[in-house]
Amino acid sequence: MPEPVATATLLAASGLTPVKPESPNAERIADLFWFVTFFAIVVFLVVAIPLVVFIVRYRSRGRSRGEEGPQIVGNTNLEIAWTAVPVVILILIAGFTFYKLPGLSLEAPNELEVQVEGRQFYWQYRYPNGAIAIDKLVAPADRVVRLHVTAPDYDVIHSYWVPALFGKMDAIPGRTNEVEFKGKVGTYKGQCAEFCGLQHARMLNQIQVIPSEQFDTWLTEQGAAQTAGRSDLGEQEFTGVCAKCHGDRGQGDIGPAFSAATVSSAQSVEQIVREGRNKMPPVGRGWSDEQMQALTAYLQQRFAQGSPPGG
Amino acid sequence: MASRAETPVYPVPWYQGRVASWVATVDHKRIGILYILTSLIFFLAGGILALLIRTQLIATNVDIFAHDTYNELFTMHGTTMVFLVVVPIFAGFANYVVPLMIGARDVAFPRLNALSYWLFLFGGVILYGSWFAEGGAAKAGWTSYPPLSAETAGNGQDLWIVGLHVLSLASLAGAINFLATIHNMRTAGMTWMRLPLFVWTIEIYSALLVLVLPALSAGLTMLLLDRQGWTHFFLPGDGGDPVLYQHVFWFFGHPEVYVMILPAMGIISEIIPVFSRKPIFGYKAIAFSTVAIGFYSLLVWAHHMFAVGLGWGLDIWFMLASLIIAVPTGVKIFNWIATTWRGNLIFDTPMLFSLGFIAVFTIGGLSGIYVAVFPFDWQVHDTYFVVAHLHYVLFGGSVFGIFAALYYWWPKMFGRYLNETLGKWHFWLTFIGFNLAFFPQHFLGLMGMPRRIYTYTDSSWELYNLLSTLGSYVMGLAALIFIANVIWSRRRSPRAVSDPWVADTLEWFTTSPPPPHNFDKVPYVTSARPLRDLRRRLAEERV
Repeated sequence: MPEPVATATLLAASGLTPVKPESPNAERIADLFWFVTFFAIVVFLVVAIPLVVFIVRYRSRGRSRGEEGPQIVGNTNLEIAWTAVPVVILILIAGFTFYKLPGLSLEAPNELEVQVEGRQFYWQYRYPNGAIAIDKLVAPADRVVRLHVTAPDYDVIHSYWVPALFGKMDAIPGRTNEVEFKGKVGTYKGQCAEFCGLQHARMLNQIQVIPSEQFDTWLTEQGAAQTAGRSDLGEQEFTGVCAKCHGDRGQGDIGPAFSAATVSSAQSVEQIVREGRNKMPPVGRGWSDEQMQALTAYLQQRFAQGSPPGG
Repeated sequence: MASRAETPVYPVPWYQGRVASWVATVDHKRIGILYILTSLIFFLAGGILALLIRTQLIATNVDIFAHDTYNELFTMHGTTMVFLVVVPIFAGFANYVVPLMIGARDVAFPRLNALSYWLFLFGGVILYGSWFAEGGAAKAGWTSYPPLSAETAGNGQDLWIVGLHVLSLASLAGAINFLATIHNMRTAGMTWMRLPLFVWTIEIYSALLVLVLPALSAGLTMLLLDRQGWTHFFLPGDGGDPVLYQHVFWFFGHPEVYVMILPAMGIISEIIPVFSRKPIFGYKAIAFSTVAIGFYSLLVWAHHMFAVGLGWGLDIWFMLASLIIAVPTGVKIFNWIATTWRGNLIFDTPMLFSLGFIAVFTIGGLSGIYVAVFPFDWQVHDTYFVVAHLHYVLFGGSVFGIFAALYYWWPKMFGRYLNETLGKWHFWLTFIGFNLAFFPQHFLGLMGMPRRIYTYTDSSWELYNLLSTLGSYVMGLAALIFIANVIWSRRRSPRAVSDPWVADTLEWFTTSPPPPHNFDKVPYVTSARPLRDLRRRLAEERV
C-alpha cells in the first residue's frame, strides 16, 4: 500500500476524517468535508490566535481596575470586513456544494432496484425477483443500486445509512425515499440512525458488495431456494428479527427464552410474530407465508429438541 | 436581669414569614432568585442523568442502564436541560437584572411574573413526576417524534406532553412580561441605542418565545390527541403525516436554540467590556446582529430534517438560510475579541467563563457550518457529530454564559461574593472536562456512531467513548466545586459592595442586594454606560 493511502486509511479508521468512501456519491460528500474543513481551520485560527495573543499581551499585570484601556467604540471598516469576508467564504462553500450536487444522485440504465423496509428492529430487503434478505444486503459491484427506503404504516421512523457508501435516508411510514450507491467489492457496516425505540442500538445493517457476475448467480439461486423453502431465510430472520431481544441462542434477554414448548406450535408462533405481545412489536406483520414458514421451520428445527444447541 | 417575656405588639403578617414571603412574593428579584435556584437544582438532576448516560457508554456492551432505562435517561436529560435549565435560568437572570438595568421599579406585571415562576416549577414537577408514571418516564427522545412517541405505552409520554404545555405557558407569560417591561419601563434617557446588550438579547429571546411557543403547543396538543383521543394527525396508517410533526416541532425547536444562546451572548457582551476596562466594540453591530440572528432563526427549521427526503429544493433553501446565520454570529465573535484589544484584562471568574465561551462557541459555530451543508449532514445527522455540535453551542455557549452570569451577578443578588480561587478551579475543570467529553464525539460521529444508542459493539469506538466519559466526570467534579463555592459564599464570604467590578450598567448603582424598591433615585441616562458616566462626573466634581 503506498504511503499516502495508508495514512488516509489510518485517519479514517481513527475517526479524524470520515469513513473512507467506496461509492462515487460518498466520495463527493467526503470532498465537501475537506472543503469545509479547510475554511473551518482557517476561521478557527483567525479567531483563536488574536484571542490568545490579546489575552497574553493585554493581561492586567497588576494594573488597578481603575485603569482603563483606550475608549475605542468601534470601527466601521473592520465591521464591514468581518461581515464581508465570512459572506465570501459562505458563498464559496455553498458554491462548492452546488458544484458537487449533480453527482450526489446516481443514475444508470442497468440499475438494481431494492426495496428497503425499516422495521422494529430490523431491515428487510426485497430484490426484484422477490427474494428477501434481513439486515445484510448483498449487492453487485460497480453497478448503481437504487434503494427505495420506507417503513410500513404501523411502524416508526428509522434511518438507513452505510457511511462508506451513502449518506443516511430516513425510512418514514407512508413515504418512500430513494438513495443510491455504486460500491466497490467489500463489506460495509451501518446502523439505524433515527431513534426507533427499545432496540434501536441493535438495529445494525451491512452491505456486502460482490462482483457483478457472482451477484446475478447468487440472486437467481437465492430466489429459487426461497420459493422452494430450502434457503437460509429462516436463519436470517431468527438472527435479525428474534435474536436481538431473545438472545443469540434464544436463551432469553428482553424477551423470554425459546424452548421446545414455545416453538412447537407453528400457529401460535405465527400469531405472536404477526401481532406482537407486550413489549414485542408485530415484527412479522405483512410477511408472506413463505417468509413465515421459513421462520417457524427454522425455530422448530433449532429449538424443538429441548435445550438450544450450543454456539 | 429580667428577661423579655412580652410578645411583639404587632404580629408579623403571615406573608412575611421566612418561607411564606418567598411563596407570596411578587418582587422581580426574589422571583429571579427562585427561578435561578430551581433551574440550578434541575441542572444538577440533568447533569446526574448525563453522568449515568456516559457511564453506560464507557465501553462496549455495558449493561448498567440499558434498554428503556437508557432511553428514559437521555429523553429526560435533553428535556431537562432545554426546558428546565437553560430557558428558565435566563428568565431568572432577566427577571433579576433587566428591571435593574433599565432603572425600573419592577417588571410590568409582577403578579403574572409570579405565576410564570410557579407554572415553571409546576411543569418541572409534572415532568419529574413522570418517573413514577405507569411505564416510567418518557422515552422517545426530547424531540419525541411520532409515530414512536404516539405509540409508546404508559403515561410517561403523556406527562411529558402536559409538563411541556405548562412550561410553555410559563415561558410565554414570562416573555410577554419582559417585552412589556423593556418597551415601557426604561428610565429617562435610556433610548434603544443606550440599552444594555443583555437587555437587547432578552428582547429577542422574548419575541422569539412569543412567536414560536404556540407552534409547540399546537404540536403537543395534536400529539396528545393522537395518543389519547381518536385523531391521527401524525399517524400514517390513517392518513396522517409524521413529518408534519417534525416541521411543527422544529419551527419551535430551532428558534428555541437561539432563545438559549442569545442571552448568553448578551451576558458576555456585558462582562467582556467590564473586565477589559473598555467599552464594547461595535455596540450597534452586536445589537443588530442579535436582531438578525433572531429573524433568520425563524427560517432555518428544516435543517434538522435533511435526512427526511424533503427534496433538494427545500434542502438548498434551508442550507443557505442556515449559512447566513453564521455571518451575524461571526460579527459578534469578532467584536468581542476586538473589545479585549489594548484593554486592561482582569481574569476574574466571570471573564474566564466569557473568554472560554468565545473559544468553545466558535468550535460549535464551525461544526454548525458542516451540518448546514446538507449532503454532509446526510453523513453526520443523528450521529455523535451532532451531539458534539449541540453541546459545543449549548454547554460551551449557553452554560458557559450561565456560569459567567452567576459569578458576575452573584454579589448583586446575594450581597456576598463567590470565592475566586474556587471559581478558577471551577472554570478550568469545566473547560478541560468539557473539551475532553465532547471533542472526541466529533470523531465518533465521523466513524458512524449514531446518537441515542444504549450500547455499541464496535471496539474501535471505545477509546473516544472512554475519553468522553472521563471528561464528563471531570465536569461533575467541577460542579461539586461550584456547590462548595456557593456554600462558602453563604458562610464565609465578606459582604459585597454595590459595584465590586466597577461596571457600567445601572444594576450596580444600587446596593447589593438592592432594596425592594430597587433605587432611591435613578440618574438620567446619557449613554450605554450610565454608571461610568456617573463615576466620571463625580471625579470631575471632586477636582
